[in-house]
Order: sequence, then structure tokens, then C-alpha cells
Amino acid sequence: MTGAQSPRQPLAKHSSARRDRESLPWLDAMMMPSLVVLAIVVGYPVVFTVLLSAQDYNLVGTEAARFVGTANYEKLAADPTFWRALVNTAVYTFGSVAVSLLLGLGLALLTENLPGRRGRLARALLLAPWAVPFVVVAFLFRYMYLQNGGAINALLLSTGLIDAPIRWLNAASLAMPAVMVTNIWAMTPFFFLLLSAALSGIPTEVLESARVDRASGADLVFRIKLPFLRNAMIISSLLMIISNFNDFAKIWAMTQGGPGYSTTTLVVYVYRQAFENFAFGYASAIGVVWLVLLLGFAIAYLRAIRMN
Amino acid sequence: MAPRPSSPTVRALGSDRLPQKRSRQFETILKYAAILLALLWSLAPLYWMFATSFKTELEASRLTPTLWPHDATFANYRDLWSGSLPFASFFASSLVTCLATAVVAVLIATPAAYSLSRARFRLRAPIGYAILVFRMLPLVVLLAPLYLLLLHAKLLDTHIGLIVGFTTFGLPFAIWMLKTFIDAVPIEIEEAARIDGYPRWQILLRVVAPLILPGLLTTGTFVFMEAWNNLIYPLTFVTTLEKQTLPAALVLTFTGQFKTDWGGMMAAAVVTTLPLMIAFFAVQRSMVRGLTAGAVAGA
Repeated sequence: MTGAQSPRQPLAKHSSARRDRESLPWLDAMMMPSLVVLAIVVGYPVVFTVLLSAQDYNLVGTEAARFVGTANYEKLAADPTFWRALVNTAVYTFGSVAVSLLLGLGLALLTENLPGRRGRLARALLLAPWAVPFVVVAFLFRYMYLQNGGAINALLLSTGLIDAPIRWLNAASLAMPAVMVTNIWAMTPFFFLLLSAALSGIPTEVLESARVDRASGADLVFRIKLPFLRNAMIISSLLMIISNFNDFAKIWAMTQGGPGYSTTTLVVYVYRQAFENFAFGYASAIGVVWLVLLLGFAIAYLRAIRMN
Repeated sequence: MAPRPSSPTVRALGSDRLPQKRSRQFETILKYAAILLALLWSLAPLYWMFATSFKTELEASRLTPTLWPHDATFANYRDLWSGSLPFASFFASSLVTCLATAVVAVLIATPAAYSLSRARFRLRAPIGYAILVFRMLPLVVLLAPLYLLLLHAKLLDTHIGLIVGFTTFGLPFAIWMLKTFIDAVPIEIEEAARIDGYPRWQILLRVVAPLILPGLLTTGTFVFMEAWNNLIYPLTFVTTLEKQTLPAALVLTFTGQFKTDWGGMMAAAVVTTLPLMIAFFAVQRSMVRGLTAGAVAGA
């Protein structure tokens, strides 16, 4: 696996000498349309979020917004729901990513040598959940999780695994695991796809020579394939951690953050603060804290890319 | 893991051939059983969605669900078009805004990608990484300021406002993905045009763009798919139900029309899924490239 940059034009360091650099322009005209648009739709909102977070801006309030300094942040630190949402976000994100990574890895190893058309068909079918819109995934599972008449309870009851229907999404202790299973179903194909691609990138000579040395199947997996997949696993996990941090559709369409606050993640909490309480200032403060957390992951991600 | 058939050496060297063969057979059976189980896990929910969409309201909410529609009906699909809710206009809203986002993002991104790939300027690396980080920004954090921005620009509750919102994640993605396609074009091909004195715009338009046409289409499809999947922006920026996109409409109408009508709900779900499914299989071959744009271009 190579880095994002083409060998001809490395992005991080120019091939030219330093004195050459001095004569280079700062910007390129062809960059401008994108930079202008990004400045408006991303740059401005980010700066504005930081500014909002220091105000008591309320969209429906009659008073004008006031500068309140760090008041929103102090409120945040003392807000038990915020901390609950933070923990929920971590559980939801890391739990689903870890399980999906393992499942995707297992599937990639299992289907690695599937030959011919049937192999291609199996791989395509295994990817299908990834092509389902998140909202649809959410409603589909919500239907299957129904206490009475849901497919999952019906299946468990008919096989005798349970005696009474389970309240999957309405029980505070089960809602989070149930939503995570949904998320895992939808996310596993991503890891499967990326790790399959990385597996097929292992040079055949390496595998052949291992076989000549009569390495066992387990040795082949643990000593050669897994180390080779390490970078692909790190990068795909970081990508999914970042995207799960932002996952709104699945949780909102399944539980709206309930019952109670049991599935309220940061996204849901920010959304509720901003668009149900119209407390834009407070919502922005949460957003800023979150931005800082996410930036940590983004930096880890950039370093992981550069390592390649 | 069974050895590949292409390695007869290992088999010939094996001294205890018979027990080894039997354990290998057992391994193969186990492997196929696991693959079947995985297929079942992936496809059963999709089958359930499809099957339910042909069930009557009564059958879809039975206490002991039926495995296939016993009383199969197209009524759920018919009702989407002629029912009380304007599903045709939800569909049109989704299609129009997502297609427009894809076209706009690719148009703006192409020169930027070309610049990042070919031009030399001092801020190239910082801008490149900044765009990559932009892509990771949480949509919900941008939500409140974007809402106010659209409010003041009088673009709230318009499709244009929605397209502006979708662009926040579509554009950074498109820039990085297109860069990987442009990187792959040998620079020598542009040399002749450069010697003839063509300006860069012309080279990009006449030489590079035709070469990366599949890349432009693939990138556009990816942007389209992400926009199609977006729930939070239409839910916040669009207030008139008729202008709503499919995902948001599903959420908003669920409490109303579909309260108990799971057959109708699943028909709507199938309709929402189909365009994404078609787009997905159209770009399946470049999927890895798209999902990791900016990370593992070589994969």
C-alpha cells in the first residue's frame, strides 16, 4: 500500500531545493474556486461555531445574543447529560468499529481464495449492506426489533432461545447494544472490502516462499497476513471512528437518543440543543469540544497515512 | 486456511498425506459454512425489507410474521405514488439536489485537484491536508452556523440551500479523489500540449479531463451517494414537507402515515435504497479508491 501522493509529486516535501522554494508563489489560481467555496461553507461555519460558543445565542429568544465568555463551557462541564453523551459516543463508536473490524477481517480471510464467478458473486452480495441508506437500515432494523411481531423476537421465540419477547429498543439496557448491532451490520462490508483489497496486495512471492517453508495456515495468517494488513486496519479503523463519531441517521431514526438518554450520543445531543431548545450557543460549545476531540483523531489519521 | 491450488509443492512434500487431506476437507466445509452464515447475516435483513414491501398492512404487522408474503400485493408501491404523501416529489427532491451536488462538486473540484497534483506553490501541502481534515469535520458541528448562514442568505427551505450544505462534505472528498486519478496520468502526455504553448486550463480541459473521464464519473457517483445518505441537513434546512428529500421524509412521515403500516414503510425503504444500490454497483470496482480517497491511493 502506498501513500496518497504520487511518487512524482510528493505533497509533504518538495523535491526542489530550498532556494527554489523561495521563488514559488504562495497560491495557485486553479485552487481558488474551491478555496472560496470551502471558506464559505466550511471555514466560516467553523470560525462562527467558536464565536457562537462564547455567546448565549438563542434563536427564539427575544434578547440579543450576549458575550458570555466561558459560561457555556462551565455549564458543559457540570452537565451530566453531556458526559453521558460523551461516554455513549465512545461506547457506540469503539464498540461497533472493533466488532466490525474483526468481522470484516474474518470475512476477508475466508473469501480470499474463493474462485471464479461464484466467488465474485459472494463478495458482491457480502458488500450489499453498505449500499443501503442509513435511514433505511435504521427503519429496517427497527421493524425487525419490534417487541411484538418483530422478526428477531419471532426467530428467537420459535427456536426456543427465549420464552418471552424482548423489548429491544424500549429497554434502557438493550437499546444501545441493539443499535450497535445495526451499525455493525451496515459497517462490516466496509472493512471487508478494504481488507480484501489489502490482502490481494500481498506479493505472491511472499506467500509462496512461506509455503515452501511449510508454514502452517495459522502461521500464514498471524505471521504474514496480519502484519501486512496492519496499516490498512489502522487507516480503515480511523476513517470509521471519525465517521461513527458523526453518525446521526441510524440513531436518530431508531431511538431518537432514547429511552431516557441511553442512546444519546454527542450528535444527537447537539442536534437536540440546537434545534429543539434552539440554544445555538450551548450547542456550539459542545461542537467545539467535539471538534478538538475529532482533530486528535484526524491528526492520528494523517500520521498513519504519512507512515506509509 | 487451505493452500491455494497453485502450490502443488506443498502437497507433494507432505509425508502424512491422508490425515492431512481429511483435515483439509473438514477445514473447507467449515469455511463454506462460515461464508454461508455471513451471506445469511448480510442478506436476511434485505430480504425482509423486500418481502415486507409486498405484504398487506395486516400481514406485515402479524404477531407471528410470515416468511414470505402470502397475500402478495403491489398496493404499497402504488400508494407511494397516489397516497396522501407526495412521494414522487420527495424522490424528485433527492434526485435533483444530489445530482446537482455531484455536478457542482466535480466541476469546482477538478481544477483544484489538478492544481494539487501538478502545480507547485508554497501552500500546497498545508492546503492539501486542510482539505483532508475538512472532510472529517462533524456535520452537526457545522449545523448551527450553516443554518444561520442559509437563513441570512434567504436560502433556507430551498434546494439551493441544501446543495450548499451537501457541498461541505462533497467538495473536499471530490478534490482528493480526483487528485488520485490525475496523479495516475503520466505527465509526459501533457508535455506536447505544454510545448505548443497551451495554457493550463486548456491542457486540463482538452488533455487531462478526457483521460480521467471515468474518474470524474466515479467521483460524481460517490458524492451523489453521500448526499443521498445525508439525513441531518435536509431535516434541518428544509421545512416544507413537499421539498423534503427521501431519507428525511421517511423520518418525518413515519410517525404519521406509517405508524403501523410497515408494508408501506418498507416499500418506501426499497424505493429509497434502489438509486443508491444502482450507483453502488456502478462504481463497485473503484470503491476502495473512493472510500479511502486521500489515504490509500495505491489500493
